[in-house]
Amino acid sequence: MTSINSDVRAPLLQLDRISRRRAGRPAVSELSLTLERGQVIGLLGVNGAGKSTTLSMIAGALRPDSGAIRLDGHDFLEQPELARERIGWLPERAPVWAELNVEEHLDAHGRLRGLRGTALRQAREAIIERLELDTLRRRLAGVLSQGQRQRLGLACALLHKPALLVLDEPGNALDPVQVAALRALIHEQADAGTAVILSTHLLAEVTATCDRVAILHEGRLHHDGEVHADDHAALEQTFFGIAMHGATAPAQAA
Amino acid sequence: MTALAVARLESRRLRVRPLGWVLAALTLAWLAWNFTLLLGSFLSTQVQRAALPDGPGFTDLVAVPLLAQLAQLAFVVVPLLGMSMLAGERRNGTLPLLFAAGLSPSRIVLGKYLALVGWLALWLLLTLAMPLALAGSTDLDFGKLAAATLGLALMLATLAAITLACSSFAPHPAIAAAVALVIGLALWSVNLGAQMAGLNGGVINWIAMSSHLQPMLRGLVSSADVLWFVLAAALALALAIRRLAGEKERG
Repeated sequence: MTSINSDVRAPLLQLDRISRRRAGRPAVSELSLTLERGQVIGLLGVNGAGKSTTLSMIAGALRPDSGAIRLDGHDFLEQPELARERIGWLPERAPVWAELNVEEHLDAHGRLRGLRGTALRQAREAIIERLELDTLRRRLAGVLSQGQRQRLGLACALLHKPALLVLDEPGNALDPVQVAALRALIHEQADAGTAVILSTHLLAEVTATCDRVAILHEGRLHHDGEVHADDHAALEQTFFGIAMHGATAPAQAA
Repeated sequence: MTALAVARLESRRLRVRPLGWVLAALTLAWLAWNFTLLLGSFLSTQVQRAALPDGPGFTDLVAVPLLAQLAQLAFVVVPLLGMSMLAGERRNGTLPLLFAAGLSPSRIVLGKYLALVGWLALWLLLTLAMPLALAGSTDLDFGKLAAATLGLALMLATLAAITLACSSFAPHPAIAAAVALVIGLALWSVNLGAQMAGLNGGVINWIAMSSHLQPMLRGLVSSADVLWFVLAAALALALAIRRLAGEKERG
C-alpha cells in the first residue's frame, strides 16, 4: 500500500476557494473551509445548495473547476490517490454493485482501497460486527432495502479506517434506532481522531452530532460556526434566515 | 495493483451475472454442434483426400473453420458482455465510487479491459479444447492452429477495447452494444466494395479487420497484422480513458 507522510500540523482538510459549475450554472462558488482531525462538521442547505457537489469534490469523485483542496497538507488535486487510504465516502442514496453480496461488496471496496489478505479479512469482519451486518452478509446488495444499503455504504466507507469520513445524508431511510446508532458511530469515529463531514437536511442531526455547522446557499458558504447540542433554536433561526431570505453575507474563509 | 483490484471486481460481476453464462452456454453449444458437423464432413471425405499430396487436413477443414465461426459470434458476444462495464456503472451511480477510491481513469479502463479479455480468453480456450481433444488421434498442424488462435485472440482483444470505448461514451448499455456491433461489423467489411471491384490493396483494405485476420487463419503471421490489432485496441482504450477523464472533469 502506498503511504504518504502526514503533516500533523496542517489541518486535515483545507478547501481554498473551490468552485464548480454543473449543468451550466455555478453549483459551488468560491467555497473555503478547513477541518481538523476529530472534528465533526455538518453541511446544511436546501436542495440544490451545492452540498453533494461539495462532498463529491472532497471525496475525489469530482474535480473543482478552480481552487485548491489540501488533504493532510498535500495537494489533493495533484495527488488524487490520497483518497484511497485517507477518505471514506458514503454518497447520497448509497449506490451498490447489485450483483455482489454484502461480503463481496466489502471485499471489493477493501481491495480498491489497498487492503489485502488477512488485513482485509480482519477489517471486513470488524465492520460487519460493528454495523450488525452479519445476517445480511450473503444477501445480494441489489435486494437490500434502502436502509440496509445505507448501512452497507457506511461499512464500505469505514472499512479502511479513513482519516476523513465524508457522509452525504447518512440518515436517509434509517429508522430511529439506526439513527441513534449512526450518531453513536459518528461520535466514536470523532473520538478516535477521524474528521467527519456530513450533509443533512435535518437540523436536529447537526445539533446532535456536530461540533461545527456550515450553511450553503446557492453554492456559497453563508455561515460557518460552532454548534452545541442546546443550540437548536439559534441554528434554526440562522438556517431559515439564509434559506428563506438569503440573509447574511457569504462567510469569509474559515 | 489497483487495476488488478478493478479487474477482480469486474470478473466477479461477470461471473455472477447470468448473461455471461447464458452467452457462453449458447455459443459453446452452437460451436460444439458445428464441430461435430465439420468433423463428420471431414471423416466422410477423408479417404478421397488422402490420395491428394499436401491436401487440406483436420486443421484446415475442422479446427480453423471452427475458430472462424467463433470470430463471427464474437461480433455479438463481445458487445453484449462488455456493454455495461462503464455505461452500466454510470447509470447505477457506482462510477464515482471508483473515482473516489483514487483510481485514475486509465486504471479503471485497464482493469475492466483485463476482466473482459480474461473472460473471452476462457471462451476461446474452451472452443479450442474441441479440436485439441482429438490431437492424439489426428494429425494437427500446431503451427497453423497457433497462428489462427493468435489471430482470434487479437480480434477478441480489439473488439473488447472497442466495446469498452462505446460503453464509455454511451448513456445506456444497450446503445453501447449496438454501436460496438455496428463498428465491429463496419471494420470487418469496410473493404467489401473495394474487393468486389477487384482492388486488393490500398488504405481501405488496410483499414479492414478481415484483411488482418484472414492471413492468420491461413497460418501466416506478420508483424504488420499484429500491429494493426494492437493499434486498434490501443486507440479504442485511449478513447475510453479520455472519455472517463473528461467525465471526472465535467461531472
